[in-house]
Amino acid sequence: MYCRVLSSALEGVKAYPVGVEVDIAPGLPTFNMVGSLGTEVRESRERVSVALRNAGFPIPCAHITVNLSPADRRKEGTAFDLPIAVGLLQSMEYFPRGAAENILFLGELGLDGELRRVNGVLPMVQAAAKGGIEECIVPLENATEGAVVPGITVRGAENVRQVLQFLREGRESPVLEAAHVNLEELFYRGEDAGRDFAQVNGQEGAKRAAEIAAAGFHNLLMTGPPGVGKSMIAKRIPGILPPLNLEESLEVTAVYSVAGNLGDAALVTDRPFQSPHHTVSASAFIGGSAVPKPGLLSLSHRGVLFLDELPEFPRKLLDGMRQPLEERRVQISRVFGNVTYPAEFMLVCAMNPCPCGYYPDLGRCRCTPAQIRRYMGKVSGPVMDRIDLCVELQAVELMGLRERGRGEDSGRIRERVMVARSRQERRFRGTGYRFNADIQAADVERYCKLGESEGLCAAQIYHSLQLSARTYHRILKVARTIADLADADEIGDEHLLEAAGYRPAQDYWL
Amino acid sequence: MEKACVYWLCSMKSLGSRTVDRLLEYFGTAEAVYRAPERELRLLLKEKKLGEVLESRRDRDPQREFGLLQERGIGFLAREDPEYPRRLLEIPDAPRGIFYLGRLPEEERLSVAVIGARDCSEYGRFVAEGLGRELGRRGVQVVSGMARGIDGIGQRAALEAGGSSFGVLGCGVDLCYPRQNRELYERLREKGGLLSTFAPGTPALARNFPPRNRIVSGLADAVVVVEARQKSGTLITVDMALEQGKEVYVVPGRVTDRLSDGCNRLLKQGAGIFLSPAEFAEEMEELFRRKTGRGPEHKGAAGDVSGERDRDGREQKKASDGSVFLAEDNRSLQLSEELAAIYGELDFYPKSVSQIQAGLSERYGPRKVGLCLMELCVRKLAVQVSPGSFRIFTA
Repeated sequence: MYCRVLSSALEGVKAYPVGVEVDIAPGLPTFNMVGSLGTEVRESRERVSVALRNAGFPIPCAHITVNLSPADRRKEGTAFDLPIAVGLLQSMEYFPRGAAENILFLGELGLDGELRRVNGVLPMVQAAAKGGIEECIVPLENATEGAVVPGITVRGAENVRQVLQFLREGRESPVLEAAHVNLEELFYRGEDAGRDFAQVNGQEGAKRAAEIAAAGFHNLLMTGPPGVGKSMIAKRIPGILPPLNLEESLEVTAVYSVAGNLGDAALVTDRPFQSPHHTVSASAFIGGSAVPKPGLLSLSHRGVLFLDELPEFPRKLLDGMRQPLEERRVQISRVFGNVTYPAEFMLVCAMNPCPCGYYPDLGRCRCTPAQIRRYMGKVSGPVMDRIDLCVELQAVELMGLRERGRGEDSGRIRERVMVARSRQERRFRGTGYRFNADIQAADVERYCKLGESEGLCAAQIYHSLQLSARTYHRILKVARTIADLADADEIGDEHLLEAAGYRPAQDYWL
Repeated sequence: MEKACVYWLCSMKSLGSRTVDRLLEYFGTAEAVYRAPERELRLLLKEKKLGEVLESRRDRDPQREFGLLQERGIGFLAREDPEYPRRLLEIPDAPRGIFYLGRLPEEERLSVAVIGARDCSEYGRFVAEGLGRELGRRGVQVVSGMARGIDGIGQRAALEAGGSSFGVLGCGVDLCYPRQNRELYERLREKGGLLSTFAPGTPALARNFPPRNRIVSGLADAVVVVEARQKSGTLITVDMALEQGKEVYVVPGRVTDRLSDGCNRLLKQGAGIFLSPAEFAEEMEELFRRKTGRGPEHKGAAGDVSGERDRDGREQKKASDGSVFLAEDNRSLQLSEELAAIYGELDFYPKSVSQIQAGLSERYGPRKVGLCLMELCVRKLAVQVSPGSFRIFTA
């Protein structure tokens, strides 16, 4: 007897519907599964037949065929165990016909018939809701993750017996209760006392640069001797970015869900902060491997990717970041098709200014110009071209003398950042842009308008600092953000001058 | 043939001046050495040296090689040649032979060695430039090692001011080391000369440089040390210069600057004090006149200086007023009070924003200082060395 059960499969962070067709017919006892299946999907046959037997529903000796359609798309993952089991139960007529209609099934089965968590539930439930499906049955551990999606009922089940009972008794059954999440509660954030800018002593220049970077989503590079607080500042940047809204949070959660990094949380509500070590492998960093998975670039989506000791990262990794930085997404091409992961992150880098760490303090730095150039050369090019702000941190003993007392806390800084963000939102409404950092060269003149005297100032900066056109545009974009932070409509001279101070200085970047 | 054989003797790596002298004393002529029977050479040479002599007698043709050298424009002078630089004859252990491209320093003209650190500061750069320019304008020959930093900066400035300069290399004269001084190398070849005691094709080995430094001081009448750390190759040159009886002048630095430690140490030991290019040049010319009994009639002969740029003209005037070495007159810049205060804190050395701020009164916050510094940069009075540090602008 033939039947069809709804399920879903992942492609990148998007899901598409999959129909699980099961047919039990008299004939030689066989169990075949078709439909362009990955190894773990093919293994599903053993898991399902043993799980059903142990749950008390032995599979008959008959000619069994399972097809996952569309049959030409590669299917990976273990989420098909439950729909296959449900399909078999339907074909064996354990529950009334039509009871499984319009329900999406996801879940991995253990040999004892228990349901186990799977990856990517959020995007699959989202796709189902979009496709007009009204109910979902998922493993209990994934229930809250799926329940975040509005317009669809998500029920968590512990084992296949519960699922069967539910299907027998219908929607009014008390067995599988619909899962609920309280979004407000999820988004409630207590004061994050752990990481606050108030804890960073001195380094006003770097803090200011971090604020500008956060306001315009600019990429930031911090240089300075070891131990002056570069990583300390980087770790505090997510705290001054505006909180994630629901839409952003769903995007981020989808990536984490697909990567299997979600843990017990229903939603990712904090800005991601990823800080990989420089020995990270290319596929862990960019994404990919034989079965594509999102890499750190995508796990930093809508958050901060912090690369400490930038020159230590292999050239190959940094070059691999070029396209994602440009297009704000990671594209992975494999024999079985292309996969795209989002990668709108803010790049924050830290490095020593030279091998010994003391340049430009010539009294202490013993590096030769050639050594410094070689050290800098490791990061020039693709990455430097995408960095809008460079800032230098000073040794702390100097600073401590002058700047005592508590600095501004993250909350105050975030308020200013939000002002700048809302200005950008208004400016870019209806365009593809979101932040000042996104503005393409062709549109710089349009969005970074200068008055007459400011135009003169900009021209003077351009000539006397011997800028390239690219650097000039970067300065204009940063100046726009600085003006936004000051809640000013027009870019002023002081904004331009401050922005110019953050360019990668020329004698330095030989 | 004889000269080709002298060249052959001088081009062997394992033979020093003294060994060559011993051979010539015994055999009379270089050609006789070339033709000497092996058993006689064996009496005079140790195994390694003998091996090289025998091998090169077998494999090389001095006559042909010497011809090729001349075709390439590389000159060779042995100690006996009348054109051999007289200054070198006067130093202990004068080199047996010398290779050169371009020309040799003139005997009748004052020559000064400008030497110092390779990784110099902006202060060193500024002084070396000012000194080189002044010397070049006066027609004084500038000798140095064509190295990165002070050496090259002084030589370049002298050439730009229309003077002549000579580079003494630690490799063959046909090679340019360091490579980034390629342009200077070409200009020295045209407007001065390149000299070396090493045969063409010899690579720049670390051990070649101390003997090279000996020639730098040997070719000069006076040596000026612009910047040197406590342990610096420049100090070797100074030792050689003192041994050769040359004048040694030193540019003083601050006691807190590591790049001036070597200089200040020399000053303590009694070296001459350099205060300004003009004063130094006048003193040296006077000394040279007394020594050689010649007037400074060659002054200005080095080139037409009338078409010089304004900046140079202005500085010349200043130098002749007194012996003060000034970058720029502060008052003529018409700076606002704030800018002037910050400009006053700038130095030749890069200073961080917080260092600059530390010298100012409380009302200058870091943002304010940063903005003013950028304004100074735009007005070409300051240079942003790195994102957080600034120094005074120099031409």
